[in-house]
Amino acid sequence: MAMFLVRRLLGLVPVLGVAIVLTFAATQALPGDPIAVMLSDHSADLELAARLRAEYGLDQPIWRQFLTYVLHIAQGDFGLSFRYVHTPVIDVLWDALKVSPILALAALAVAFPLGAFAGSCAAINRNRWPDTLVILFLVAGISIPNFALATFLVYVLSIKLGVLPVAGWGSIDRAILPVLILAIPSAAYLARLSRTFMLEVLQQDYVRTARAKGMRERTVIWRHAFANTLVPLLTQTGVIFGGLLSTTFVVETIFNIPGLGRLAIQSIFARDYPVAMAIILLFTAFYALINLAVDLLCLAIDPRLRAERARP
Amino acid sequence: MSLRSSKALGLALLALIGWSHADAKTLRVNINADPSQIDPITYSELNSYQVLQQIYEGFTAITPEGRAVPALAASWEPLASGNGFRFKLREAVKFHSGRPFTTKDVKYTFEQLLRPGGQGGLSAQFLGNVVGAADLKAGKATELAGVKIVDDHTVEVSFTKPDVLFPIYQFFFMDSGIVAELGADWMTKADAGTGPYTFKQWKRGVEVDLAANPNYWGGAPKIDGVQFLIIPTGDTALSQYDAGELDLVNLPENTFRRALANPAYQSQLIQVPKAQVRYMGMNQNLYAPFKDKRVREAISLSLDRDAMIKGLYSGAGFRLNGQTVPGIPGYNQDMPALKYDPDRAKALIAEAGYAGGKGMPPIEIQCTDPFKDEITYYANQLGKVLGMQVTPKVVERATFIKAMNAGEVAFFPWGWTADYPDAMTYLGEMWYSKSPFNRARWSNPAYDKVIEQAQTEPDDQKRYGLYHQAEKILMDDWATAPLPATTNIALRKPNVKNATVTPFGFSVFRDALIQ
Repeated sequence: MAMFLVRRLLGLVPVLGVAIVLTFAATQALPGDPIAVMLSDHSADLELAARLRAEYGLDQPIWRQFLTYVLHIAQGDFGLSFRYVHTPVIDVLWDALKVSPILALAALAVAFPLGAFAGSCAAINRNRWPDTLVILFLVAGISIPNFALATFLVYVLSIKLGVLPVAGWGSIDRAILPVLILAIPSAAYLARLSRTFMLEVLQQDYVRTARAKGMRERTVIWRHAFANTLVPLLTQTGVIFGGLLSTTFVVETIFNIPGLGRLAIQSIFARDYPVAMAIILLFTAFYALINLAVDLLCLAIDPRLRAERARP
Repeated sequence: MSLRSSKALGLALLALIGWSHADAKTLRVNINADPSQIDPITYSELNSYQVLQQIYEGFTAITPEGRAVPALAASWEPLASGNGFRFKLREAVKFHSGRPFTTKDVKYTFEQLLRPGGQGGLSAQFLGNVVGAADLKAGKATELAGVKIVDDHTVEVSFTKPDVLFPIYQFFFMDSGIVAELGADWMTKADAGTGPYTFKQWKRGVEVDLAANPNYWGGAPKIDGVQFLIIPTGDTALSQYDAGELDLVNLPENTFRRALANPAYQSQLIQVPKAQVRYMGMNQNLYAPFKDKRVREAISLSLDRDAMIKGLYSGAGFRLNGQTVPGIPGYNQDMPALKYDPDRAKALIAEAGYAGGKGMPPIEIQCTDPFKDEITYYANQLGKVLGMQVTPKVVERATFIKAMNAGEVAFFPWGWTADYPDAMTYLGEMWYSKSPFNRARWSNPAYDKVIEQAQTEPDDQKRYGLYHQAEKILMDDWATAPLPATTNIALRKPNVKNATVTPFGFSVFRDALIQ
């Protein structure tokens, strides 16, 4: 187990390395000069521009800028933000860092039980009205774009009815709509998977055996069948969480939530490369770590996987 | 979940919702991004300015009408030499820390702006002419030689060359004792100003909160504070205003159509000209036909400015006949109106030897993404009227500004926003041949002479007369085709008074009322 963990953690290093090289190359390839953005219309003040360029190390050759960047990251230092004058990147990120993962996790916490339960219900009632209802929900959930749904719900619930705030962050009522908008497509996707898995499991011999033993139908379905759909569902959760994290970009922009997604977009437009690069690295790390966590969770709930690992 | 526990949860949710609504006596307004820093020294962009002007003050303040009036300076007079001013500071003004505001704070602020390796932002440019500024910047001196403290409330500032507008430049004077009291990162804990509001907190990406200063020398504000909500998207800001989450909203251009079209907003609408001049840059070094004055005039005559205001600016624009805007002192309202006259334009271009556009090399008209519709209009219109082959090209903003500054863009529409309330900010920066911001590289010795004369003319009326002269030279030569200027549009709830937008953005909210 420990070896497995160490191996997986070491495997993260090349992934992050590739991410660093790619993001650095991308910022170099983008048009535009961060100093010119910083000074906006006054960038003809060459003296001021030169001073800032030197302060941010932008007068150095590219290879040296890259080397400095990598060395500093190794020490946990992401450098100074271009837009927030003289502010370390980590200070700019700090508040946002607590927002996006919470948002994505909250959405997952809503989507997973909802999706798993709805999908299973549909499978049990195959071709009857609950099944049709769930299928309708999942087709709508997957195909209606989240920004359209968000705009519609804000218009109805916030502007017309005044039940929920339009946008913002910092209280539970402000989180309801964004979490819902994030959760719906994931819940629909999970419901579809869960329905398929459940249908498959219900055909298995052990389900027939359980029924033959005279067990109550409820126990058969929820204890024996449902529990066995959880492992394949969980393995999908890593992918879903990655999707959720990237969807936070859209939802945070619509609901004006001060998370990493909105900050990333603002930083890219403001040519605040150090902040944008740090966010991309953080997303890569989150994604890799959540997949690791899912693998560990599967190991914990599925005895067969543990046995496989134990074998030499 | 039992019925009782769901009821309890419902109550808890209701309580949370009720609690989250802000106190009714806080003025809630929007800014479209975080300030880059709430620092009177390094500030270099508009969002910081909106916040800083509520906390800090200079020699003079700008009224909502765009005039400069005495603030921390009670009075001033030119030095006998003519190259400088003696300022009498307002007595009994206290910083938010409780320390008195004196001449040593003025000197300290100036020195912070010029400190070598320092971070002086936009206000640093105003000190360029002060004696000793260059030495201090270069690290050859530790003090600013041109500032002489006479007593606690009298200070003399001398210049290397006359600078009659010095008293109206926007400085934000800061408490010289703040670093000793709170350390180098004082900015995260407090502010160092004298203004009507004090810094309370900045939640990055969410809001900046200010509290009323009960000891303000001009009288304590009648509201509890100001909340700047950070809202990047215009549509979200407008929706939040509709939902009652904002009291005053400064609208970005992409929401103008939505705001102007809605009759329900009529009584809440505030519309003022922006402190921004717009022009067509025609660089004669880069495109030979521009050397002919008749070509430049023909381009101006080809533009249907009324149609542009209606079609491109959603009606939220006004015609400019010169290179100054109403609301900025020195504006000339008697400039002859620019005409839309395609026939005369065709005749002029033929006279210049380019009948029907024949012999004119193809040219690109460049600008940034927000102006893509506008440059498409110019390309179309000039093709239709003059037969010119113009291709619109969108360029990334920073690349574009850099190229313009280097004088490398032949044909472009652009604008210039005032740094201080006097027409010199336009005429002396955009068209004076020695200014780094003369991006079209137009140069005229007669014009330069009048501008240099105006720079030394302390009498406002006489100086405005010189501006009118300069503007006439500029337009007689068709240095540019002035473009319609845009407006600041805001919506204000009926229960809010004495808070508005000015040509520069939000007003200072010192007298704001919420009923």
